[in-house]
Amino acid sequence: MKLKKMLALGMLTVMAVSAVLTGCGGGGSSSSGSSSDGKATLSIFVYGNEQEQAIYTDMINQFKEAHADEVADIEVQYSTKDDYGTTLTGMMTAKDLPDVYYIGPETVSQYVDNGYAASLTPYLEELGLDTSDLMQDILNFYRYDGTTTGQGDLYGLPHDASVFAYAYNKDLFDKEGIPYPDPENPYTYDEFVEVCKQFTKDTDSDGEIDQWGCGAANAFMLYQYIWSNGASFLSDDYKTVTIDTPEFKEGLQKYIDLTLTHKVTPTVEQDASLGVYQRWLAGQEAFYACGTWDVAAFMDDETFPFEWDLCAYPTLSTGKTATWCGTVGYAVSALSDNQKLATELAYWMSADTEGNKQLSGITTGQSIQLPNLVSLADGEFRDAINDGSLPFPSNVDVFFNYLNGTGDYEGRMMESTYTPNAEWADIFFEGLDNVKNGSMTVDEYVAQVQPQMQDALDNAWESVE
Amino acid sequence: MGETQLEKPVKKKMSKSAFREHCWGLAFVAPPFIGFCIFMAFPIVFAFIASLTKWNGMNNMFDNFVGLRNYINLMTDAKFWKVLLNTVIYMLGIPLGMILGIVIAMGMNRKIRGIKVLRTMYYIPVISSLVAVAILWMWVFNYDYGLLNSIIKTLTGQHGPNWLGDEFWVKVSMIIFMTWKGLGTSIILYLSGLQSIPKDYYEAAKIDGASGWNLFKNITWPLVSPVTFYLLITGMIGGFQVFVEVLVMVPSGGLNYSAATVVFYLYDKAFSNNQMGYASAMAFILAIVIFIITAINFVGQDKWVKTID
Repeated sequence: MKLKKMLALGMLTVMAVSAVLTGCGGGGSSSSGSSSDGKATLSIFVYGNEQEQAIYTDMINQFKEAHADEVADIEVQYSTKDDYGTTLTGMMTAKDLPDVYYIGPETVSQYVDNGYAASLTPYLEELGLDTSDLMQDILNFYRYDGTTTGQGDLYGLPHDASVFAYAYNKDLFDKEGIPYPDPENPYTYDEFVEVCKQFTKDTDSDGEIDQWGCGAANAFMLYQYIWSNGASFLSDDYKTVTIDTPEFKEGLQKYIDLTLTHKVTPTVEQDASLGVYQRWLAGQEAFYACGTWDVAAFMDDETFPFEWDLCAYPTLSTGKTATWCGTVGYAVSALSDNQKLATELAYWMSADTEGNKQLSGITTGQSIQLPNLVSLADGEFRDAINDGSLPFPSNVDVFFNYLNGTGDYEGRMMESTYTPNAEWADIFFEGLDNVKNGSMTVDEYVAQVQPQMQDALDNAWESVE
Repeated sequence: MGETQLEKPVKKKMSKSAFREHCWGLAFVAPPFIGFCIFMAFPIVFAFIASLTKWNGMNNMFDNFVGLRNYINLMTDAKFWKVLLNTVIYMLGIPLGMILGIVIAMGMNRKIRGIKVLRTMYYIPVISSLVAVAILWMWVFNYDYGLLNSIIKTLTGQHGPNWLGDEFWVKVSMIIFMTWKGLGTSIILYLSGLQSIPKDYYEAAKIDGASGWNLFKNITWPLVSPVTFYLLITGMIGGFQVFVEVLVMVPSGGLNYSAATVVFYLYDKAFSNNQMGYASAMAFILAIVIFIITAINFVGQDKWVKTID
């Protein structure tokens, strides 16, 4: 009798394990569903630091309260930015996607073509949710008509629109008695070099330079020089690597010259000891970049104990100051049983006024992104900056100028946004320090990496054909 | 002809107690067997099928069958051969670790005060978090502020190398780090090997006038050869799978990808560039390489691995 019981128990255990594992395999549906009272359980998967997570949790709870008659619960899963893609790929493989998750402009077509992202347009229309107050240029990155991105139905709603602007350390300018840069009249390259030279010096007389004009982080700061010189990494159809044009080589040379010829940035070796970002935080560089996500940290005296403000990157032959922008959006799983409700949640996270106020710092006093809503950006956001309730650099227009392409400002997405992967770009940056440390010339380097980059780009396109 | 018809084996009905035992046996075998199927066999088959496709993690792999093309492309992928060479170069640390391991183990194989504390200290790196100690060593190798370059500057007046930023020195750095991390294991294993050698052998050899070097060459080294063999096999298998060290200390893969290993490249292909099929093919090639090297080691062991028996 005892044995029979044990056997039955064993069998049950095996069956239970099998059932669980079968469940893991996924049956093509999302993990969420409906409870017995007809209410839905939604799931959302996003990344963010602790501060962002607290705000997201708050926004999600408010959505839950506002939709208490429809929503039983919302399962929230957080990740780090680095791990997000890996986890999401695993979820896709298991066909076990959350109802709402992040989508980037570069993945819209792939997620849609492979049946992971649902069109939001019919639900938005049915629910009467208005997207006209969202930044339309950013919103268009999430449109896809089955062949071309930028037009057609919406498959995402922006979580944010970010800009990688330039910034300067006001205290250093005061110390050296140099007038602040004027965002209305960006420096030309030559003017910029001359200003940087005045900052580059050995301040403690130990024989080594310990203060520089600027820091140059290759993967983030070369684009500005290339684009401003009228060049690009890729052709307009993103199928050909175009780094061998005279404009590209000149832009690259001028970027390299900052380190090698003018010596106004830390050397490659010095950069290896302490990154240019850390040197900026330590007050050793007059210029460095500031992303929209950096503002709260830079305004915090514990992180950055200096006065600072935004400015424009120097201009090269086109006379335009350029930088890269970014965005990530909320998608709704095409496998979800509750797509309509999930669309409402995505809209809430993207366009809810209170949520926007929290994230942009209007109500929290700490800005981690610009408001997605144009009316808020033009109204309360600026008011809060002007009345001092939101600590923010006074040249806030620099962000919006890049984002909206105002005047001589131009903001673009990195070209890898439009290619199936970024391996071709990684190849370029992997060995760039060889040029920066003088081991190779620009011509030699371009000749060496261009074929490799083209191969990688061809493979990338071939992988999605 | 005296053809004897083979009698059909009589199917004996299993007795109740035998059946019971049979069931118990199955019940005990089932968990590991199911575990093996789910966590080993299935992923292996899955990865093999994936390696024959241009699966990118999002598309349907069965609609993207490319046959052996991933394997053929790998053979002409200069970057793959580069990372394979990097990985093999890192394995120079294996003999280095063995030599240091046996020297230190011999030093420890005696009764001195505080020997247990010393043994524990050498073992601390083994039980420490790999990520934590990798970050620690990043600072040791730092160009301007690192411990190593500070020592070099104090001793020679010259600035030390850019350990993690130079194509040559990054390999030296990784070998130093990996040797340090694995030293504790070598020492402990060699120590147990040394302690299992009967004292009589040494005494007899000494009576015959053997010198210290001869004792080591003819008694110690041959009799710890099973430990050496074990360290060689596990070291090589582990060596081919080095990943975390590179990811933490040189997250970009180093100047010109000089620090990247096969698994690092595989990860890069799979998760940064969405080439899951290609990465799966690479994983299979890596598994085959490991299998061949391990097999060669096992075949060759008869020639040099001795046991006391």
